[in-house]
Amino acid sequence: MDHFPTNWGRPRNDAYDAYGTHPIPQRPYNGHQDAFADAVQRTQQPIVTGTSVLAIKYKDGIMMAADNLASYGSLARFKDVQRLHPVGQYTVLGAGGDMSDFQYIQHMLEQLSIDEFTCQDGHNLGPAEIHEYMSHVMYARRSKMNPLWNSLIVGGYKDGKRFLSYVDLLGTTYSASTLATGYGAYIAQPLLRKAVEGREDVLTEEEARKIIEDSMRVLFYRDARSLNKFQIATVTSVGVNISESIQLDTSWSFAEGIRGYGAQTQ
Amino acid sequence: MPDMTSLAHPQQRSFNPYSENGGTILAIAGADFSVIAGDTRQSEGYSIQTRYAPKVFRLTDRAVLAVNGFAADGNMFVKKVKQRLEWYRHAHSKDMPLRAIARLIQTMLYARRFFPYYVYNILGGIEEDGTGAVYSFDPVGSYEREACRAAGAAQSLVQPFLDNQIYFKNQTPALGTSHPAHLPLPTVLSIVIDSFTSATERHIEVGDGLEMYVVLAKGRNLQGLEGVRGMQELTVTDDGERVFVVRRDLKKD
Amino acid sequence: MNTFVERFTTNASNGLFCGNGAVEEDEEFSDAMWGSEAGFGSLARGVPSFTVPSVSDPAAFLRLHTDDHADPNCKIKIQHGTTTLAFRFQGGVIVAVDSRATAGSYVASGTVKKVIEINPYLLGTMAGGAADCQYWETYLGMHCRLHELRNRERISVSAASKYLSNLVYGYKGMGLSMGTMICGWDKTGPAVFYVDSDGTRLKGDLFSVGSGSTFAYGVLDQGYRWDLSDEEAQELGRRSIYAAGHRDAFSGNTCNLYHVKENGWNFIGNYDISKLHYDGPGDVAGSPGHGYGYDLRVEGRSSVNAPEAAPAVAAQA
Repeated sequence: MDHFPTNWGRPRNDAYDAYGTHPIPQRPYNGHQDAFADAVQRTQQPIVTGTSVLAIKYKDGIMMAADNLASYGSLARFKDVQRLHPVGQYTVLGAGGDMSDFQYIQHMLEQLSIDEFTCQDGHNLGPAEIHEYMSHVMYARRSKMNPLWNSLIVGGYKDGKRFLSYVDLLGTTYSASTLATGYGAYIAQPLLRKAVEGREDVLTEEEARKIIEDSMRVLFYRDARSLNKFQIATVTSVGVNISESIQLDTSWSFAEGIRGYGAQTQ
Repeated sequence: MPDMTSLAHPQQRSFNPYSENGGTILAIAGADFSVIAGDTRQSEGYSIQTRYAPKVFRLTDRAVLAVNGFAADGNMFVKKVKQRLEWYRHAHSKDMPLRAIARLIQTMLYARRFFPYYVYNILGGIEEDGTGAVYSFDPVGSYEREACRAAGAAQSLVQPFLDNQIYFKNQTPALGTSHPAHLPLPTVLSIVIDSFTSATERHIEVGDGLEMYVVLAKGRNLQGLEGVRGMQELTVTDDGERVFVVRRDLKKD
Repeated sequence: MNTFVERFTTNASNGLFCGNGAVEEDEEFSDAMWGSEAGFGSLARGVPSFTVPSVSDPAAFLRLHTDDHADPNCKIKIQHGTTTLAFRFQGGVIVAVDSRATAGSYVASGTVKKVIEINPYLLGTMAGGAADCQYWETYLGMHCRLHELRNRERISVSAASKYLSNLVYGYKGMGLSMGTMICGWDKTGPAVFYVDSDGTRLKGDLFSVGSGSTFAYGVLDQGYRWDLSDEEAQELGRRSIYAAGHRDAFSGNTCNLYHVKENGWNFIGNYDISKLHYDGPGDVAGSPGHGYGYDLRVEGRSSVNAPEAAPAVAAQA
């Protein structure tokens, strides 16, 4: 304990002896001693990553979108990766962040679905249950200092109710009628909120699709880790539908008008 | 005295299990009631994650808990407290008394002394003797019974206001009069609403919605609560303590 | 090598993808908590159990997130800052403390009870981490009661304080911070022991602990005698805490005063430090009848209206 009046009561940093009064003992290390201990690594930073996921509520259910890119740092490494994953009949899971951790999550949910199916107890996991499960998994892993490095959006439609919720590597959860992860939280979220908030019950599928496509286009213009190839998932009373990959028409003429960046200042 | 900051060992940059989700909570105890309130905005940095994420939770018919800090820790902590209270109900066929819940929360927080919950808790409700009570906690479980307490992002804006309006700090009563020991419920509610509207104006992490829980001691009349806009009763009978919630909008900018 | 293999064999047998911690047994609580033990939090197994972060240096982790002095931007601010004192004299033990808790530069509370009433004849003071003191001294109280039940007599202050120091010594280097005086009256008479989170335990007549302790010692040392009367002793305790509250930014608000006598402790009073400055403690035993501030004493003798120097010199000559 630090006894110096102004620092009084704070835990002493034992690595450093402020008064030079005693030699700092090197404590014996009681942790893992074997040479292979270090071979087990935790995800301390994401490696192959996916960028934003967008999702909104609309009249018939929920709509979610994510592009097909998995980046390796600034390298656009894999360009045909599906980041929207159906879980059971009512749910779709969208993931940003580390793709290997996402694959692990897919595998885990697959196992969960099988266990649940084999019970044949008349219950089916809905989006709320999947989200609750994922939030517990994510929080438990962060509490072990061994996180699954993802931002997940769980969307679904069951028993006439729409469901849209978020969970990330820290176990933080929240729901809203529009959600966006990663870069989308800064660029797409304001657009989505403006277009959707207060109109969740009147937006048609066509309108919702236009909102999502417009947002994905803006993201492609500004997010350097994004791709102009993405999929849209809908969950409605009919069930889960994940589209084929979509390419959008883009127009770069606006670039001519941009001033204030790089060499061109006038 | 050497500068400890610069001489401290360089910290290994690793996974940070904590975040901060903004918002403010507050509780005020009256003679036979207790008001526990919180805004509903959840944010991280400059992003508003959602405009409705409750921070105030009903535990029993006479206890309400408000949590603030890191939302994931807060939600998990509330979940665990509720689970323990249910176990207690099964073992004793009654609800845990408020002061026991307070001690339970202390031991639960302290169990994580070396890996703390980043949560500031305020527990409000009715004591066994029928008086209104507020208990406030630090993240590792030191606690104290008080008459009022604000915590969270805007605590330094709200607490001085409460000190002045509830404890009458730095106020001198008019000659021949004295300050009341307890304020009536309508006065307390308007102080709470004013605290949050003002905090919303001056703190970016506060706003969107306000939830005020009111716990009323057994056998008391509504004390002016009946006319309040947006009020909803959460208890089903009126033969014990009663819990009400009042929801209001706050500015969303 | 074994640990490496073990990790994967155990995982594989449990089903690598099912567990994940979400459905595992909760480490903090045991099955026993279903029953009447449900109120004991981390104490349900008899001894406290703590969750430790799974990092190579847990103490450094704790410091990184909670030491607001090394890093003012750290998120979790544990309450700190204090002045506490206790001294032994002919009439028992005087315990006096302030009531301020600070988190960074914010005054988190001005109404903290820093004297912890362990039982009717033992007091502990709170300095350092508020939760550490509250929790461990409450826990000490449980064991003092067990001692009574087992031995049919009250625990001595010496034994109680040793129990506490042994407890916290077990967590040395983990980041606990407490500096406390365990005060009471036992077969040996009045007793005061200083115990801190390093495991130090000292028997003594007079201690002051906390950021304001230097100021309190100043007043305490010049006024302390063994044969102080009860009134004089109480006044000395009050006056010392006032001095610390006046000069130390991390101490203040109010002073709580306790007096331990042969038949247990008595709460003497709560005094507003600002009031002590201007008006004094009021009509209580040992009161000087006026404020502690020196404005009163220097009335007519301050720099603004200095007295004539001549008469004093003349008288001496």
